[in-house]
Amino acid sequence: MAPISGAERTRTYRCEGLTLRKASIGEADLVVTVLTADHGKVRAVAKGARRSSSRLVGHLEPLTLARLSMARGRNLDIVSQAEVIDGFPAIKDDLALMTRGLYVAELLDGFGPEDSPSPALYNLAVSALRTLPLAAEPEAPLRYFELHLLRLTGMLPELYQCVECRGDVAPDGHRFSVNLGGVLCPSCTPPEAHVRPLSLRAMKVLRLMHRGGLREVGKLGLNPQLSAELKSILSGTVRYWLGKEVRSNSFLERLHSEERAAISRDA
Amino acid sequence: MTQDNLPSAAPSIARLVQELNRLPGIGPKSAQRLAYHIIRLPEEEAYALAEAVTAVKRNTIFCDECQNLAEHTPCNICSDQRRSRSIICVVEDPMDVLALERTRSFRGVYHVLHGVISPINGIGPDQLKLKELLTRLSAPEVEELVVATNPTLEGEATAMYIQRHLSREDLRITRLARGLPVGGSLEHTDETTLSRAFQGRQEL
Repeated sequence: MAPISGAERTRTYRCEGLTLRKASIGEADLVVTVLTADHGKVRAVAKGARRSSSRLVGHLEPLTLARLSMARGRNLDIVSQAEVIDGFPAIKDDLALMTRGLYVAELLDGFGPEDSPSPALYNLAVSALRTLPLAAEPEAPLRYFELHLLRLTGMLPELYQCVECRGDVAPDGHRFSVNLGGVLCPSCTPPEAHVRPLSLRAMKVLRLMHRGGLREVGKLGLNPQLSAELKSILSGTVRYWLGKEVRSNSFLERLHSEERAAISRDA
Repeated sequence: MTQDNLPSAAPSIARLVQELNRLPGIGPKSAQRLAYHIIRLPEEEAYALAEAVTAVKRNTIFCDECQNLAEHTPCNICSDQRRSRSIICVVEDPMDVLALERTRSFRGVYHVLHGVISPINGIGPDQLKLKELLTRLSAPEVEELVVATNPTLEGEATAMYIQRHLSREDLRITRLARGLPVGGSLEHTDETTLSRAFQGRQEL
């Protein structure tokens, strides 16, 4: 067998990838968006993948971690082989967990860098999806994911010093500004700041999420009020930087409100 | 594609290319090829194509019962007295009805959702014919609902959402079996399909 030349070696590559979304194209093809550790976010064509007889079918569903063989294309790469590593069945068997998983995928699609290695972001995404079904409060891993997504993309909110005067923030009277990117002390209220109160408990949880790991966060029990406050701060910051609504969040909120309505009906 | 992209083409040709380019899967080059093919067609064939497009828009309506596309309501399937109205099979698209009808295995009636819940694409229950389904299911004559949405993430999300909103406890709800395709191989089958195929194994 002839040795493989350098040019041929770079024409194909292997990677592990998390499928974020898929779209149909042509008669039976798919375009998949995959987050990889070594190549960042990759868009690739999976030829014939919508046919039930395709070897790729089932291996490229959104929220599936797979081992991929890819060929570089002129515009989009081509998936030549795929084998599931983790299909996250516990997430996919529950509608609310699946929607949370899709929220993670939508944010990765929005923030994920193209064509540049992002192993930390990849590991964060996989760990968050694995923690989701195990967490005491399933919203907690989402908040952790949002905070560290912001950190890894250089948009981490300031949690320790006032973003205006740079003074240490006192234990009470905290406020948070999404557009100024962090906490404000009681004496600073810049005119352009959109300010909201920040409870001491929310501040402590934010700092714990910043310094701690997902395992600790997965054990956190958040009461509904605290959970809503953290969501308002972190999802609001993510939405601010993304510059648009996160679509899967609307469906998640609908599921929550339907659940609340069902509970009050039963009561 | 705008008409400015074809400055040298006659305006009517540029307009046809532009309209064809709006169709799914038709890129600018394919649109041009199709447009010039239509120009070369005999006049009666080109008019027949135009008449078919006009007629399908003029005559097609939603069946009041199953929401499938039809030329009258109730549609042929819903008005067929030989079919059982106690079992409703819910599908994503009208093309799924054609696929199931080809099997000649189902003698109940259908309900077409015209899409699936796709949170990431902003498609929710209100954009589907779900309210109509839930209304149909409240009729006591309905004994079984077969959920035949595709075995994709969105298809599963839709199936779970329907299940959550069923108010009748006596209604049987089933899902089409998932398993190995004819001509497929175990080696290349994903783990979810394999495990579902194993769970659904049958006596030889």
